Amino acid sequence: MNKFTTALTAGVLAFAPMTLLAEDSSDPIVIPVHNWSSQIVMSHVVGQIFESMGNNVEFVTTDSQAVYESVRLGDVTLEMEVWEGAFGASFRAALEKGGLHDAGDHDAVTREDWWYPMWTKDACPGLPSWEALNECAAVFATAETGDKGRYLDGPVDWLKHGQERVEALGMDFVVVNAGSAAALWAEIGAAEADKRPVVVFNWTPNFAEAVWPGEFVEFPEWVDGCDKDPAVGPNPDALYDCGNPADGYLKKAAWDGMKDKWPGAYDVLTKISFTNPQIAEMARLVDVEELEPEEAAAEWLEANPDVWQGWTS
Amino acid sequence: MTAETVISCKNAWKIFGADPKKYLRSMPAGLSFDDIRADGYIAGVKDVSIDVTRGEMLVIMGLSGSGKSTLVRCFSRLHDITGGTITVEGQDLMSLSEKELIELRRNKMGMVFQSFGLLPHRTVLENVAFPLEMRGQDKHARRERALEVVKLVGLEGREEYFPRELSGGQQQRVGIARSLAIEPDIWFLDEPFSALDPLIRREMQDEFLRLQGMLGKTIVFITHDFDEALRLADRIAIMKDGAVEQCDTPDQIVLNPATEYVRKFTEEIDKARVVRAGVLAQGQVMGEGEPVEASASVQDLARLLVQDARAVIPVAQSSKVIGGMDRAAALEILLEAS
Amino acid sequence: MADITSDLKADTTSPAQWSRSKWASVLLLVAVVLTTLRYGGLLPDSLHRIPEAMIPPFAAWLDVFFNFVKDDLGLLTLTRTLTEGLEWLLDITANLMFGKRRWPFIGPIPWTAVAGVAAVVGYHLGGWRMALLGAGTFIWTALIGQWTIAMETMSVLMVAAPLAFFIGLGLGILAWKYAAVNRAIKPILSVLQTLPFFTYLLPAVIFFKVGPTAGAVATTIYAIPPMILMTTLGLQKVPSEVVEAGNMSGCTKWQLLRHVYLPSARTEILVGVNQVIMLCLAMVVLTAFIGMPGLGAKLLAMMGSFKLGRSFEIGVTIVLLAVTLDRMSKAWVVRQPVHFERGTPWWRKHIVLLMCIGVFVFFCIAAQFVQVFAEIGRKQNFSQGKEIDTLIKGFLALDPVQNTTQAIRYVLNVWILNPFRDFLLSIPTPAFILLVVAFALSLGGGRPAIYAAIFFGLVALSGWWDRSVITLYSVISAVTLALLIGVPLGITAARSEKWSQRVLLACDTAQTFPSFIYLIPAIMLFGITATSVVMSILIFAMVPLTRYTIEGLRTVPPEMTEAADMAGATRMQKLMKVQLPLALPTMAVGFNQAIMFAFFMVIIAAFIGTQDLGQELQRTLAGTDLGKNFVLGICVSLMALTFDLTIMKWATERKKALGLPD
Ligand SMILES: Nc1ncnc2c1ncn2[C@@H]1O[C@H](COP(=O)(O)OP(=O)(O)OP(=O)(O)O)[C@@H](O)[C@H]1O
Ligand SMILES: [Mg+2]
Repeated sequence: MNKFTTALTAGVLAFAPMTLLAEDSSDPIVIPVHNWSSQIVMSHVVGQIFESMGNNVEFVTTDSQAVYESVRLGDVTLEMEVWEGAFGASFRAALEKGGLHDAGDHDAVTREDWWYPMWTKDACPGLPSWEALNECAAVFATAETGDKGRYLDGPVDWLKHGQERVEALGMDFVVVNAGSAAALWAEIGAAEADKRPVVVFNWTPNFAEAVWPGEFVEFPEWVDGCDKDPAVGPNPDALYDCGNPADGYLKKAAWDGMKDKWPGAYDVLTKISFTNPQIAEMARLVDVEELEPEEAAAEWLEANPDVWQGWTS
Repeated sequence: MTAETVISCKNAWKIFGADPKKYLRSMPAGLSFDDIRADGYIAGVKDVSIDVTRGEMLVIMGLSGSGKSTLVRCFSRLHDITGGTITVEGQDLMSLSEKELIELRRNKMGMVFQSFGLLPHRTVLENVAFPLEMRGQDKHARRERALEVVKLVGLEGREEYFPRELSGGQQQRVGIARSLAIEPDIWFLDEPFSALDPLIRREMQDEFLRLQGMLGKTIVFITHDFDEALRLADRIAIMKDGAVEQCDTPDQIVLNPATEYVRKFTEEIDKARVVRAGVLAQGQVMGEGEPVEASASVQDLARLLVQDARAVIPVAQSSKVIGGMDRAAALEILLEAS
Repeated sequence: MADITSDLKADTTSPAQWSRSKWASVLLLVAVVLTTLRYGGLLPDSLHRIPEAMIPPFAAWLDVFFNFVKDDLGLLTLTRTLTEGLEWLLDITANLMFGKRRWPFIGPIPWTAVAGVAAVVGYHLGGWRMALLGAGTFIWTALIGQWTIAMETMSVLMVAAPLAFFIGLGLGILAWKYAAVNRAIKPILSVLQTLPFFTYLLPAVIFFKVGPTAGAVATTIYAIPPMILMTTLGLQKVPSEVVEAGNMSGCTKWQLLRHVYLPSARTEILVGVNQVIMLCLAMVVLTAFIGMPGLGAKLLAMMGSFKLGRSFEIGVTIVLLAVTLDRMSKAWVVRQPVHFERGTPWWRKHIVLLMCIGVFVFFCIAAQFVQVFAEIGRKQNFSQGKEIDTLIKGFLALDPVQNTTQAIRYVLNVWILNPFRDFLLSIPTPAFILLVVAFALSLGGGRPAIYAAIFFGLVALSGWWDRSVITLYSVISAVTLALLIGVPLGITAARSEKWSQRVLLACDTAQTFPSFIYLIPAIMLFGITATSVVMSILIFAMVPLTRYTIEGLRTVPPEMTEAADMAGATRMQKLMKVQLPLALPTMAVGFNQAIMFAFFMVIIAAFIGTQDLGQELQRTLAGTDLGKNFVLGICVSLMALTFDLTIMKWATERKKALGLPD
């Protein structure tokens, strides 16, 4: 335990109602971390808050889809970032099987859609409208795509339906699937060198915003049922003819057993809520300042006591 | 002295090949070594019957590949024989359980290997103490004993060396020391002195003779060296193609070779050194005058044979005349040698 | 390859081979006819691809089977119990290495103590250079700010490697002792060695819980096969007289094994240990997918946030660790015991151990007083992540680099790779299988041909044919390119001892460098295209080709080259007529390994973006689709095995024909 957390413990002990502390099990609360920085730092922030309350905390690295199965079984205790778009399906599937539950939303929105870095706008000034994007499709052409534009979609298994949207909206684009998030960044990174225009799949909150300022392409606005009912959306005969929701949820999930085993920590978990700027700041500490996640979390906690101390009292 | 049989080997076969048991069962009698080889099998030991009595030193000789090592391995059941029976101290070797076999080897048998068979990761001392360790002897006792035999074979000061760090002769002496360590009753020595220089070899031979005479050990000894064989042997067995051609005392082998092969094999030997007066003593005519010792060889008596004028010279064993030696016959042997 | 084989046919025209190649030509002809029919539109669809309806639901069957074993037979309960034991071990090492709060609550060991001990052990094994390497590796790790994550990795490897050692040793002994076990184990080992690692990962997670336990299990399983092989080999090589000496000393079976066989097989067993260590390190990154913490997880996180410099540094750490452990264990292999003179005092005999303890205790105490001896904090470390980032990005953005890669990308993608892929996909399934069988027949003969037919038939029945073909296409393309580059490189390097050494060293490094790190520069240079995929496989596949070319050429008996010299051959003639033919069997082994490596890497290349089996496999990782995962894995394994069997058969036959040692 480092000096900082010791100090924190002392500080928090003064606030915290002793009854709650006494009830929490001394078994470690297992918090999963994945491979993107905001989630890692946020998990460490929450972990350090729990530690300051006298709980034992442990971190495990897990796959971000498989984690819900682990939460369900109690192998891990909670999940701090449940993205509507990316993990909604896995989360709901696990919810149906039972064993975990919704522990409340963050005060943040998530969005994932076609995205471009700012320099792209120089080559295609009409952006962010999707029609304008389609007009300058040729700008995005590569050797393999002929005169059609190239859109780099997320990995196939993320099921982002880029291909369907291109067809539904009659766009002059060829959809190529990256194999991983890292592959997406590599493409943007390569394009950055000579400011080549690119359009790729991206999401927020995300470290990329801090590294490459950019915008989402504005597609026809999301209407409920756009992915189920062809009639919804501009093209009456096709699914996926709208953009993704611009305000997806960001949830927390908890193992059903957590409430009884660590009532104090559980209570805090339900109160926790981060906003987009707070999440971006956490990511920035790691991605731009190059801090280690634990240090970034400690630093964030130190800088924002007014945000979190309310949750623990 | 009643001769107690220690090892008794009856019609033993050891055949190498794919399914030797089956082959032996279906094999017609009288097949030669080459016939068997033509069928894809090797007769390592071919229908051998031989008895070894307590306190005897039996020397096995024969050309390379004649089956000497194989036969000895059958005696110690390092090889399971394919047919026949071998009994050791009355126990049928092949019917021994594993436990009994281990007991037998731990307490009764010792062996020195042709290419030493030292454990490469153990020091000289640890190698020598190995059989004692396997017996479960305590550390101090086995160390004492090991030091003793290491000294005996002249490796004092090299106790902590590893086999890799020793010369061939030194390694061989470690092998000898290892087999000496447990003082076995029955000793199998497969060319134990082959890598030794003449001086040490002589010393070792003397040591074995001493042990045998003193403790009544039974020794089966393989060698290629006739001088060595004559020095040591009570009986010599001569092998060819897995079979024992003849097994008899040295003078009998020299005087009455059983087969042409044995005759050829022993041709080079100086008979005068081998043949003893006792063998030449005929029962009927005792002769007169001063008797000679039965154990004296013809060569020992050379001067007497040439200078004496008697036709028949009496031969005595333990001061009792057992027969007369025909001087002409003895001279014949002496002359043939020179 | 085609040239070489026809060449060889010419000089070994035994009747058996004649009919072999005749049959192969017949099969080839049928395949061509089928394909032509297809192009002419005359071949019914059901002969082009197996109809969906006829594909047996292997995955579903397997799922039923797995569920039966898992739940009804209670395997899950068993493995979860095992997990607890494993977790206990992992907790101990985790506490010692990086201070996880678990019993025995005494860690973490200060980094200086570890580095100090590494130096002493290194000195003992290989003198000053090895000491420097050992200490240097750990000092680098600490200074660069990766101490904790490196120790997270080490804490798992410290459990996985011994586990793999003991299990491998045990199975090796059984396989040596009982022919039946050996027969049962052999095919399993071949499959295990060709099975994509993703197929190990999912069962590991399901049965052993996500996290270090699953990581340790997957690592262990991956590292076991060579240990088994080396143990069996070593035991078989123990001289019979040594064993007989043991028998005559009255050893029981157990004593014989413990005191005679195992110590005498020391060299082979230690070679096995070396391989276990290397395979464990190879899994460091891959197991990160199933929650193994440490260097691998960090590397993935760094790649996920596009930090090239830091990923590169982690790669260097992994290489350093691998090289250190490799060199030290190899030095241990060749080290023979040396005696101490009589009367050497006790402390002199145990000087190494005493020094280790001394250094260890000294630094542990020193760390109590000097903070940097215990831990190098974030702000003090010397990571150059950002600078390396700039450097790499700057290099990749250079005009000449960009122009070359653009040109390569264009030519390869548009003219070669994509048309080749489309061509392979256009071949009807039966024709494709016939082609492979013809290949196996002409190279390896009847047996490999039968295996090829069965194996590829199964792949066709698996329902993943198109993806399998795409996987194979990436492998073939990459290996062909690797041949074009790697073999000439090897030939050139083999001319001088100095260059051979240098190139071999480069091969070693390229092989231990985590393959994931190649992916990002590949994408930045070639985009998310087939070229990137092929290029990243290429780097990996070239290594064995170059290595075995060098080894093959350098082990050509000197009498033979001298004879050629005396006959007045030019350098080129000597190479073509004498050296290459003699080196060919060895090179074929390298070729085979190149294919195996390519099958390994093609799965990783799924992270660039492919449409092959790797992509589907990667996808199953996130779920619990054990059946599908297994079917996919087996598809890869079957294709790899076909090549393995065929080429190895050819190489052994050829070696025998040339009278070369194995
Ligand atoms: N384990 C075995 N398997 C097959 N054949 C064997 C085996 N051991 C010995 N032989 C064969 O048995 C025959 C006798 O071998 P053996 O070792 O007994 O000869 P030897 O008389 O001791 O020869 P040397 O004087 O060279 O030691 C040889 O032809 C040998 O090839
Ligand atoms: Mg012999």
